[in-house]
This record gives sequence, structure tokens and C-alpha cells, in this order.
Amino acid sequence: MAKFSRIAIANRGEVAVRIIKACEELGIETVLLHSEADINTRAYRMATKTICIGPAPTAESYLNIKANVDGALAGGAQAIHPGFGFLSENADFAEAVTKAGLTFIGPSAESIRSLGDKVHCKELAKKAGLPLVPGYQGENQDVAHLILEAEKIGFPVIVKAAAGGGGRGMKLIKSSAEAKELIESAQREAQSAFGSPKVFLEKYLDRAKHIEFQVFGDSTGNVIHFFDRECSVQRRHQKIIEEATSPSLSDDLRRRMGEAACAIATLGKYKGAGTVEFLLQDNEFYLLEVNTRLQVEHPVTEEVLGVDLVKMQILTAQGEFVHDPKQVRVPRGHSIECRIYAENPFMGGVPSTGLLGHVEWPEGPGRRYEYGFDAGDTITPYYDPMIAKVIVWDETRSRAIQKMIRVLQDSVVFGVHTNIPYLIEILSHKEFVMGTMTTRFIETYFAEALKEPELTSLDKKIAEGALLQLRGGGMQNQGASNSPWASYWRGI
Amino acid sequence: MEIKVRVDGVDHKAHAQLIKGTLWVHHNGRVFTMDASTGRKSRKKAGAGGSSDQVVAPMPGKVTKILVSAGASVEAGQAVVVMEAMKMEYTLKADIAGSIDSISCAVGEQVALGKALIKIKPASDK
Repeated sequence: MAKFSRIAIANRGEVAVRIIKACEELGIETVLLHSEADINTRAYRMATKTICIGPAPTAESYLNIKANVDGALAGGAQAIHPGFGFLSENADFAEAVTKAGLTFIGPSAESIRSLGDKVHCKELAKKAGLPLVPGYQGENQDVAHLILEAEKIGFPVIVKAAAGGGGRGMKLIKSSAEAKELIESAQREAQSAFGSPKVFLEKYLDRAKHIEFQVFGDSTGNVIHFFDRECSVQRRHQKIIEEATSPSLSDDLRRRMGEAACAIATLGKYKGAGTVEFLLQDNEFYLLEVNTRLQVEHPVTEEVLGVDLVKMQILTAQGEFVHDPKQVRVPRGHSIECRIYAENPFMGGVPSTGLLGHVEWPEGPGRRYEYGFDAGDTITPYYDPMIAKVIVWDETRSRAIQKMIRVLQDSVVFGVHTNIPYLIEILSHKEFVMGTMTTRFIETYFAEALKEPELTSLDKKIAEGALLQLRGGGMQNQGASNSPWASYWRGI
Repeated sequence: MEIKVRVDGVDHKAHAQLIKGTLWVHHNGRVFTMDASTGRKSRKKAGAGGSSDQVVAPMPGKVTKILVSAGASVEAGQAVVVMEAMKMEYTLKADIAGSIDSISCAVGEQVALGKALIKIKPASDK
């Protein structure tokens, strides 16, 4: 297979930036396929070439298969990287890309169908003897029928988008009374986010941990795993903090879960990066789903193993990447990722949109930032609220937690509110520090909006002084004439 | 920009920026905002509060469902409007019991932060 000289990116935000960086390292040009709303973004400025594929609504741009394929062809690309979300797990898209004579950077359409379709995946897992959470994955999508099935399973039940990911279209139903409203809501969200209203039901395990294994199938179809991540800290079924490796697994459990992950990926003839997700409760694990794509949280795996998963994806699509059996990969130290959302933590997490002002991510060893927006860019209400990811690495988990708190405290985002104060509270919670959190951690301890701390008199004086300086009035009036910084202040 | 402010003889380092009348400050490990014209803390509930007889858009977004009709009775805490922003659904609830006085939005409409969507006639006014 010929080497790619130009790759199209069918995505946006920080993942588009991540792919561009990997391409740059390999000397490959990029074509960003973007919507009209994403002109003022970092990926737009970084890509070699940009092609507008439609207006802001995702159904008319990022979810439009033909627009993406046509854009890639017009841009002279030989391959398309779908990133995560949008069309990344859409078998029809993978097929359309291949039919157009392009390479889809990801698993084959056949693999996506067998593993990415959550319903089919469970059937495959049954054949492989993997333990599954009880549920309903049938074709009958009538709301009344789904309510009956939910009652059979027994509440609480989770309704999930069949084509979903990232917590979209996912609702927890606690009783029959609320089933209709929540199922309909999940169907609407599923349609909006993935272009399909299909949902399925699953028994809700109320003390479970979310553990996942990074699998990677090389160019020859040989699948190995790249160890595990713990993603139990979830709000609205969406991960907020992820870490590698999980603090919850014994060596034996890690070995067994890793083997199960490789078994199902091998059955699905998997090539490239994928993730096998499990729920772990009382030392028993259950297959949750397989994500046939790169994941948001892939950097924590990269940090503890020293690998570049995106580069490996591209090389695999070129037919060049083969696992080296002599290379024994052992996770080193601990890595944590926090997702920075544009939302107001003091108002229950309502989205915060607008023009980004000053943005600063503090540099230092063991810190990594993945972001899609710079100062002057606009955060719109059209897309996901994630504006950045902060990733830290350190020798132990407790040091990584301390480092993450420090990094978040030193990070500056002006213009939109972020969940940074919320993340700091979570990282400081004793259950998180002990590593004993379950997927109910957030609803148990952080169900209410954070209480906004009162401004201290010092805060007020700092603000007064800042305002004076910003308006060109020089320094604040408290004895400033004695300050060695006096002339410097005026010059800023 | 980075600033230094001397308070009681001690220099304090902070970042600050004025954006559309709001002062953003990063100091001592956190960000806070102040209304630059009044010098007071920014109204926490900008857009979300208003008077309790109104249901106001707490964010810019799309109205996806209106769950009540004009004249209908509502209880405090009852869901009245569903909005979508950033790919998530948010259900807005009535703060007070009463009847629906007026509906100022339509399904599919993109509404701005702070827009009054529904007015409720309080039960006590009946």
C-alpha cells in the first residue's frame, strides 16, 4: 500500500488538532473538513488545507457522509481519519470512504458492524462466552414495548443510543413512571447526535466501576492490548476524569480482562485502535461495549506506555504497523486526564458559550494539553462542550493527583466559564484519592451545583487594582508608590 | 494580561481581562468574574434567574420541546420546556405553581441566553 501524502480529517476541535500533529510528525499534509461554524478554531488554522462541508448543524456537515467523502476527494486526500464521535463508528461511512477509493483510518466496515453496533457486539460476546449485563437489544423500538422490556429487566435500567458514545442519548430510568419521558428523550438525543433514534436497555449496576482496555489490531490482524484505563468518574454518563492504569485491578483480574478484550477484538477481526469497555462489580466483570475508534481518553494510555496511538493508526492503515513480540510493554507511573468543559459549575453545569479571552495552560514536566481553541475563538452552542483536555503524568497516582490539582489551579480560561473548580473538588475527594469511586460517585457526592465561594476582601482589592490597570489608570492605590514594580505596571 | 497589585505592602500576581463589561480575574488558583461597571460580583444567575414567574433560557440553545400550553396549570418543579445545547438536553422547570400566562418561544427556535420563554401567572393571583 502506498504511503499517504495527504489525509482528510472528518472531525473538529481537539481531536482534529491531535490528528494534524500526528500527520505533521509523519510528514503528511492534512485537509480539515469543517462546518461553517468552525472557522475560528485551532484545527482550522493548523491544517494544510481546509474545506467547508456544510452549515453548523451536525446533520448537515459532520454527519453528512457524502459531504465528507466529496470534501476529502476535492482536497486530494488518499485517506480519511474520522477522529471520535460523529462518523467515527459509522460502518456506512467507512464503506463509502472505501468505495470512493480512499482509505478509512480505522477498522473495516465489517468490524464496525460486528463490534461497533452495540447490539450485534453483545451477540458476538455471547458466542465468545463473555459475561454480559442483562438487557434488551431488540429491533422493536416502540416506546410502549421498550417500557415493558424495562419492567422485565427490573429498574433501575439504563437506556442507551445503539449507535452512541460519549454519554449522548443515555438516561437512567429509576421507575415505570419516568420511563416514557426518558426513553423518548434518549431517542431524540440519539437522533440528534448520531442520526439514528435506535436505543437499547441495560440493567443498571449500581456499584460498578468503569474499566476499559485499549486494544490495537496491527496490519496483519494480530490484536494485543495496551492495558487499562479507569473511567468511573462520570456525570450524565459522560466521562470527566480518566486514568491509566486503573487503581482497582489486581494482576489476575487485569490479565483476565485483558484476555477477554483481545478475544472479542480478534473475533471482530479488528484493525487499528479500539476500546473494550467493562463494568466491574464485586470482582466480576461484564462486557459493556466495544468502541471501534480512538477514544477521548487515549492520551493517558500513551503517557504510561510511551506510544503514539494516532501514528500507529495511520501506519496500520498504510499496512506498515506490526506488533513487535520482542517489545514487552509495561505501564510506567500513572497518568490522569481531565476534560475541560465550557460550562458553569456554579449553575449546575449549564453550557457557557462566547468568545474566549485569555487562555493559558501552564507548562511543566509531565503535563500535556490537548485543545482545539485559542484566545479569540468562539465557543458555540452547536457542539460538544469539551474545549480542552489536561493530561498529567507522575511516578505514583497520588503524585499525579497532586500535580493535576496544581495544574488546574494554574490554568487560565477567560470568556467562558469552565468546570475546572468542579474537577478540583472531585480530585480532592477522599473517595477519588483512595481510588474506590464507582460510576455513582458524582451523583452521590456532587449532585448539587457547586457553591460559589464568596469573594474575600483580598479578591476584591485585586479586582479593583486590576480594573484600574486595565483601564490605563496605573496601579492600585494602596501604597503603590513604594513598589519597585510601579513603572512596570504602567507599561503592561 | 498579567498584573500585580500591592495590598497592605504585599504584591499579588494575577491575570485579568475585561470582556464585554465583565472583569475576569485569575488569582490564587481560581477564576472569578465581576461586573466592571458596578464593581460587584457578576450576577451568578445571569440569564437563569429573572423573576420566578418566568422560565428563562439558562444558556443559548435550541428549544426542542414545549411541554405545556397556554392556560394550563403547572406545579412548582414541573418540566415545561426542553432545550438542547452542546448536544445535551436540558429540561427547564417552573419555579412556582400557577397557570401558563404566555409562551414566547417555538419548537426549533434558537434562543439566546436570558430569553424569557414562558410566563406563569402565580396561583395566588388567580
